[in-house]
Amino acid sequence: MDPVSLLKAVVFLPLIGALAIPLVAGISKEVRNAFSVTVGILTFVCAVLLVPSGVMGNPVYLNIDFPLGFNFSISADSLSVFMAAVSSFVSMIILIYSVDYISHYENQTEYYSMVVLFLGSMMGLVFTKNLIWLYGFWELTGFASWRLVGFFRSDKDVAKANKTILVTVFGALLMFLGILIVYFEKGTLDMNQLRGSQISLLAASLILAGIFSKSATLPFSTWLPDAGVAPSTVTSLLHAAVLVKIGVYAYARLFGTVFVAPQAFSYAVMAIAGLSAIISAGAALIETDIKRIIAYSTVSQLAFIFLGLASGNQTAFSGALLYIMMHSVAKGGLFLCAGIIEQKTHTKDIMRMGGLYKTMPVTGLSFALCSLSVMGIPPFGGFFSKFMVFKGAVESGNILILSLFTLGAIMTLLYLSRLFYLVFLGEYKGGAQAPCEGSPSMVASVSFLAVCGIILGILVSYPFNYAVLISKQLGVNLQ
Amino acid sequence: MTTELLSYSIIPLLSALAIPFLGRTNRKISEIIANVTLLAGLANLAYIIFHPMNRNSDYAVFSFDGLTITMLFTIYMVALCCVFFASASHMVKAEKNAFYPLIMISVSAMSSMVLARDYFTLYIFMEALAVTSFSLIAGEEGKGGIEGAIKYILLTFPASALILIGIAIMLMSGGTINFDMINSSPSTGNLAALAFITLGFAIKAGLFPFHFWTPDAYQGAPSAVSAYLAGVVTKISGIYALVKICMTIRLFGEPAKPVAFALLLAGVLTLIFGAIAALMQKDMKRMLAFSSISQMGYIAAGAATLTPVGIIGAILHIFNHATFKTSLFLNSAAIEKSAGTTDMRKMGGLEKNMPYTSWTSIIALFSTAGVPPLSGFWSKLLIIVALWVSGFKLAAVLALVFSILTLAYFMMMQKKVFFGKPREELKDVREASAYMLAPAFLMSLIIVLSGIFFPYVFEFLGKTL
Repeated sequence: MDPVSLLKAVVFLPLIGALAIPLVAGISKEVRNAFSVTVGILTFVCAVLLVPSGVMGNPVYLNIDFPLGFNFSISADSLSVFMAAVSSFVSMIILIYSVDYISHYENQTEYYSMVVLFLGSMMGLVFTKNLIWLYGFWELTGFASWRLVGFFRSDKDVAKANKTILVTVFGALLMFLGILIVYFEKGTLDMNQLRGSQISLLAASLILAGIFSKSATLPFSTWLPDAGVAPSTVTSLLHAAVLVKIGVYAYARLFGTVFVAPQAFSYAVMAIAGLSAIISAGAALIETDIKRIIAYSTVSQLAFIFLGLASGNQTAFSGALLYIMMHSVAKGGLFLCAGIIEQKTHTKDIMRMGGLYKTMPVTGLSFALCSLSVMGIPPFGGFFSKFMVFKGAVESGNILILSLFTLGAIMTLLYLSRLFYLVFLGEYKGGAQAPCEGSPSMVASVSFLAVCGIILGILVSYPFNYAVLISKQLGVNLQ
Repeated sequence: MTTELLSYSIIPLLSALAIPFLGRTNRKISEIIANVTLLAGLANLAYIIFHPMNRNSDYAVFSFDGLTITMLFTIYMVALCCVFFASASHMVKAEKNAFYPLIMISVSAMSSMVLARDYFTLYIFMEALAVTSFSLIAGEEGKGGIEGAIKYILLTFPASALILIGIAIMLMSGGTINFDMINSSPSTGNLAALAFITLGFAIKAGLFPFHFWTPDAYQGAPSAVSAYLAGVVTKISGIYALVKICMTIRLFGEPAKPVAFALLLAGVLTLIFGAIAALMQKDMKRMLAFSSISQMGYIAAGAATLTPVGIIGAILHIFNHATFKTSLFLNSAAIEKSAGTTDMRKMGGLEKNMPYTSWTSIIALFSTAGVPPLSGFWSKLLIIVALWVSGFKLAAVLALVFSILTLAYFMMMQKKVFFGKPREELKDVREASAYMLAPAFLMSLIIVLSGIFFPYVFEFLGKTL
């Protein structure tokens, strides 16, 4: 297929597929499951096939005219393709894992439509080159996550779903206001035309509020631990590994490749990210709910990505992009391990676990490998990304912020070791009989992700070169 | 009045006359006549709007503007949905041979208001519309219908008086009440007259602080009627005229600014007040009524910017409001029939048994809250853009911030009514029949399509205004 049809396919296939799922569900359950998984896989394949056109530095472009400059334009440049490949990869894994995992719950048709709709709006969001459509797809992902968080329908779940959507939509509206200010100042919403333009501190801060609310950074972080606990593991994974990356992507896209924000702004972002890293790491240290710990860890790790993106030099920027990839894979592994553990022990309280390594060795090992990657221990993928972010931050030379993040990194080490110790080592405290290993397909997907972490570490030069290429091709105002 | 579209106001009138005679023996016949009249009108309008020859020539053979035909389309669309719902649901207790003619007369009155080309004709048909609305609200015994109707009629008097004073001033100062001639003679007398008329229509539109009659009227009326009232009747009798006046006074230039500013202030206060009040409601229909008030605020604020973008946004929002509010009111009626209540405290988890009602409600409420890419988003966006570029930045920010409140109260509604675990006592609730769902489906389809094909909608209004 030629690149333009690939580009159309990667955006519209999941969007239309999501609407078609309720119709397909009329045929039979198996057809519906197969259809959803196929859509997921095809989207990933299309995203990967677009990589060459992204690398060429001559991105394919599609434009549909709308009045007042609200044009619907999508194009596949290297950053978009990178994000699309990473997020559709994780979504594809989620869809495959779901077939088994949610087979005994109600409202499955809605679940599949919403995951695929989420995937579609994520694709639209990463490929669009118009700010108004960025906002449009942004809200669409919020809608999908609202339905997914409330999936179990109990009052608590629905309240958390409402909290999630209200926090993110509030942020999105602030961002929308920022976008409108840009529109009135510059007269256009097209990112290619806006490239390299200075924007005011007010507009930048408003857009930043939207980004922080989506990626669960302080002070908007409260919804993620809630959203991560209530619903099924699959859903929490979707939020922790994919949804929060939307905010990071938007930051990389807008402040890394389009706008030139004031210097003070970048410092403020780094300072907020530093605080976010420390506070959420502290919360992860004292929590006793396994999924909350992992969710807080996500909040903390996202801060590292923001540090890299805001540092303003090429090393840190490409390190942060690499970080997005490594974190998605490792955090995915951790969440799925937690899912197996929760299913087997029937609790999320780590004080009632312990000694699980004896009975669940594969899960334990995968959990350890993923943790090591998140901590940033060589030769895992996480090491390289964290190293590059730090190296870049050193070059930009702000000692205070750097020490905040070093502290954050040490705390990451602490809370993950504590988690591993309490869950897998020592004596089992949950009852007489320690639980056995999870089902083969679940364990297989967990170990697959753990192995991915090692492979990405060993073959780091490929994603590394690609990340550097992105920052060279698209970066604005990077040293 | 423009004569070329006059049949749209005469034919419903004839059918109103025919129904009592033809439907005397068989009540079914009166339902059929009402539905067929409206469907034929709607099909006819759609033919005019979508015919490629007319589209390509930018409707050059017609003398109407985009506002007129959009409003006619809205009137027929909402009336058809409500009449169809009423005949499918058997919820209207009133005498059928009185109910359907009343609806037909009000359709005729609204069409005439839209077709009016001078202020006196506008006024006459506004009064005719008020009389039919009064009878429709009071049509059902008990349930506060009479209270709502009396509040409605009491407020209509001062409004009529103000409009009449305005017309009198107009005749005294310039000697003309024709729209076109007023447009071309921006004298102080005419401006003063228009200020009086604006105030009168602001009362009729239920803008803050004259909003208090609407919730009672909507809640008291039978559900199919409240959808009709909220969707189109109160919009045509109030806010349509305000938009029309705004299109006139924008030609007056600088002197018109204070009038416009007062309207803008009222609009912003209305949207704030309506959203806050909606947040506190326990009854589904009352919440929808306050939400309707809030949306009127958006329309008034948009039109009061006196910019082309703002006026197009206001017209679009009238149309969009008709689609989503009709859909929501009809769904609340379906719930009332199935679950026996509109009190949200007594509901929960209805989605399991009423999935179609739930999903059409979700589409409608996301459109109300302005979530892209649904049609409500675009009209709100146009209004906010217009507010910002005409210098009312605070108003633009408020309009934006209060759409999060809109989302919040609708999320609450969705949580209490549909989302969540099914309640034990509502276990046996059944989904509404396919006929009752059809109007909500049609509305949802229009919401989605006019959102996605927004460029065409915008182009149509931009070229024909």
